[in-house]
Amino acid sequence: MSARPDICLVGVAKSFGVDGRRVEAVAPINVRLAGGQMTALVGPSGCGKSTLLRLIAGLEATTEGTITIGAETPDALRRRAGLAMAFQDPALLPWRTVEGNVALGRALARKPRDPKVVRDLIALVGLSGFEGRRPAELSGGMQQRVAIARALAGEPELLLLDEPFAAVDALTRDRLNTELPPLWEARGASSVLVTHSVAEAVRLSDRILVLTPRPARIAADIAVPLPRPRGAEVLASRAFRALCAEVTEALRVHQYPDTVAAQ
Amino acid sequence: MKPGRGALSGSPEAEIFGALRRGVGVALVLLLWELLARATVGSYIIAAPSEITRHMLGHADLLGRALATTLGSAARGFLWGNLAGALLALAAVLMPRGERLLSTLALLVFCLPLVATGPILRVLYGPGSGPQVTLAAMAVYYTTFLPVLVGLRAAPQGWFDLVRSYGRGPVTVLREVRLPAALPYLVAGLQIAAPAAFLGAMVGEFTGAERGLGVLTVRALRALDLPATWSIAVIAAGVSMLAFAAVGALGRRLDLAPPEVLLAPPVARGRRPWANLAEAGLATAVTLLLWKGSMELFGLPRFFAKRPEDVWGYLVAAPGADAHRARLLGALGETLAMAVPGYLAGLLLGAGLAMALTLRPRLSGAVIPLSIALRSIPIVATAPLVVWALGREATGTIAVVALMIFFPTLIACQHGLARTPRAVLDLFAVYAASPLRRLLDAQLPAMLPALFASARMAIPAAILAVTTAEWLATGRGIGALMATVASTSDYGMLWSAIALIGLAAVLAHALVAALERRVLARTSPEQLAR
Ligand SMILES: Nc1ncnc2c1ncn2[C@@H]1O[C@H](COP(=O)(O)OP(=O)(O)O)[C@@H](O)[C@H]1O
Ligand SMILES: [Mg+2]
Repeated sequence: MSARPDICLVGVAKSFGVDGRRVEAVAPINVRLAGGQMTALVGPSGCGKSTLLRLIAGLEATTEGTITIGAETPDALRRRAGLAMAFQDPALLPWRTVEGNVALGRALARKPRDPKVVRDLIALVGLSGFEGRRPAELSGGMQQRVAIARALAGEPELLLLDEPFAAVDALTRDRLNTELPPLWEARGASSVLVTHSVAEAVRLSDRILVLTPRPARIAADIAVPLPRPRGAEVLASRAFRALCAEVTEALRVHQYPDTVAAQ
Repeated sequence: MKPGRGALSGSPEAEIFGALRRGVGVALVLLLWELLARATVGSYIIAAPSEITRHMLGHADLLGRALATTLGSAARGFLWGNLAGALLALAAVLMPRGERLLSTLALLVFCLPLVATGPILRVLYGPGSGPQVTLAAMAVYYTTFLPVLVGLRAAPQGWFDLVRSYGRGPVTVLREVRLPAALPYLVAGLQIAAPAAFLGAMVGEFTGAERGLGVLTVRALRALDLPATWSIAVIAAGVSMLAFAAVGALGRRLDLAPPEVLLAPPVARGRRPWANLAEAGLATAVTLLLWKGSMELFGLPRFFAKRPEDVWGYLVAAPGADAHRARLLGALGETLAMAVPGYLAGLLLGAGLAMALTLRPRLSGAVIPLSIALRSIPIVATAPLVVWALGREATGTIAVVALMIFFPTLIACQHGLARTPRAVLDLFAVYAASPLRRLLDAQLPAMLPALFASARMAIPAAILAVTTAEWLATGRGIGALMATVASTSDYGMLWSAIALIGLAAVLAHALVAALERRVLARTSPEQLAR
């Protein structure tokens, strides 16, 4: 069992049939994401990031091409619960408490019940004392943190995060950006993060794939060789700002090709 | 979190004051009622509270035993009917391809007129409580089936993705997501079912039972015994309201949030006309097959259990079919002339009052609890009283139908109006739009899904109301026809009437559903997308 599986996409494309028309969401993509790394996907909204992530999770079937994770198909990995996903919408079950929702992540992944692990994770996302509350009693940011704890509770080999911080306020987001990376680094999971925030992508990932508007293609493939842990001094560094600028420029060039042509 | 109650209302003084005020209100209503009854004593319409009390005390034993009998039948019907409704919904979710067919059949059986099924069940079961229990079950299973179906499906896509992302299958989805998500819907269905089961048991007792409140009702009506009729209506209303409140309390006890929408709009799976036609053909074929098949299976005698081909012969092929047809269609015409105006009036008044109340929110504080209470009263049990009050002309029957539909529509539309998104309301507030403007541009569209759901549910209710009023009070239309032919064992006509009503109900339902899809496609497409 490889705990840090590579993710390998060969000619992966996806189109949807909508009312008889075909909508091409992902153009053929070839890429290999090294095991144990965090890869960030950035791109304009609607470009196909979520679709790509769902393909990797095996929640959608590819129209063309194949995806392998380690030596397995996404479906096989999913069937043995090697995968966890945090969605844009926290998708908490309203009839379960915070503790119940996090424990569900373990139960669904067929890991033995372990109240201590669950409580530690809740503490980690800063929700100690809220174990018995229902999702409706929490703010959007707190709900999202529960969803992240739930994703980690299953001890996944591959962690897929789809804009997990979109609903979280800026201060909390900053805190999570600081506190969460050590967590999944310690667990050695491979991970793919979809985000809208360039700074977040640079801060969290080892590699950034900038995608074009729909259908998604890889517009730029940028390595992030910043040292970890990435504390305040890294964020203030020149290298960090240079990387941010590079990603932003790649996004701009591909999102507004006309402006570039006019220059 | 629950909305906090006002600071005052928690204190003991305030509670005593509130109870006092309520007590004075009740006393005032009773006084008015008494005066009205005494003023109209010659017209045999209203029994005074004093007379009703005297009757109840004088016949406490009899009424008590009858109530116990009816409650027993209702409870058993409640159990079986809800079990059937919930299992049907589960089957529909587990076999999505069969859902449309299952829904159509469920609707068809629900629309069967109690007036006709009562005597038939009586023949099938013989003496005893079988028909009452069956009718009580048939009165509730559909109103449980629909919300549970919505509840089982209503979970957001994200919850299904969550379970799937761990590689778990449909069983886990059912256990972790669908069943818990459906629980509040089940309780909401049970709440509607509680009074309906009581009503079903009562109507079941109208035909050939030996004991029960239904028997006493028919006896009192025949004898024009006003205090007795009113006593039974008051008891039925009280029991229904109690049952409704009890299930509601159970829901609160379980700390279930009330469901968002109870009745989702119908799904249009087949976009092409021929697919819809094919589905309709399939539904017809399956219905005929079940009809004939079950009769053959149980070896029911042909004299009484008419097969589809017998009905065809009776109405089309056999000698005298012309006369049969003319009699049946004539009665149907009479009935439709009452049912359609009553149906439309009930819907329009319910929706209209709901809208008016949003313009005058102070009033709704008084009107809504009252309507919630009145919704649970078995209008049908009071149908003779309404018809007596308004006369045997059209007005009485139309009023019974409208009343039957009015309260559920009012509550549903209220609910729909309250679902107008906060942000949209804020937008109108920012521009200081007039309440009328806000109502027409923002709240009315939010109300439409609820109105259409009510319109669909009102079809069986209208059939029940109109046939019962015709049977018990006016002696005209298809309700009276069915009662007559049932008592003269003219089973060809009885089965023909049942088939015709079933067909009319399904057609009316399809018409409303088509209208609903067209309107909602414009006003709230998100309701249709699935
Ligand atoms: N299930 C689906 N059916 C049809 N079209 C879809 C579906 N899922 C996504 N799309 C389309 O694919 C495109 C990419 O969507 P998505 O991956 O959600 O974008 P992103 O996450 O980058 O904002 C969009 O145009 C969207 O409308
Ligand atoms: Mg997305």
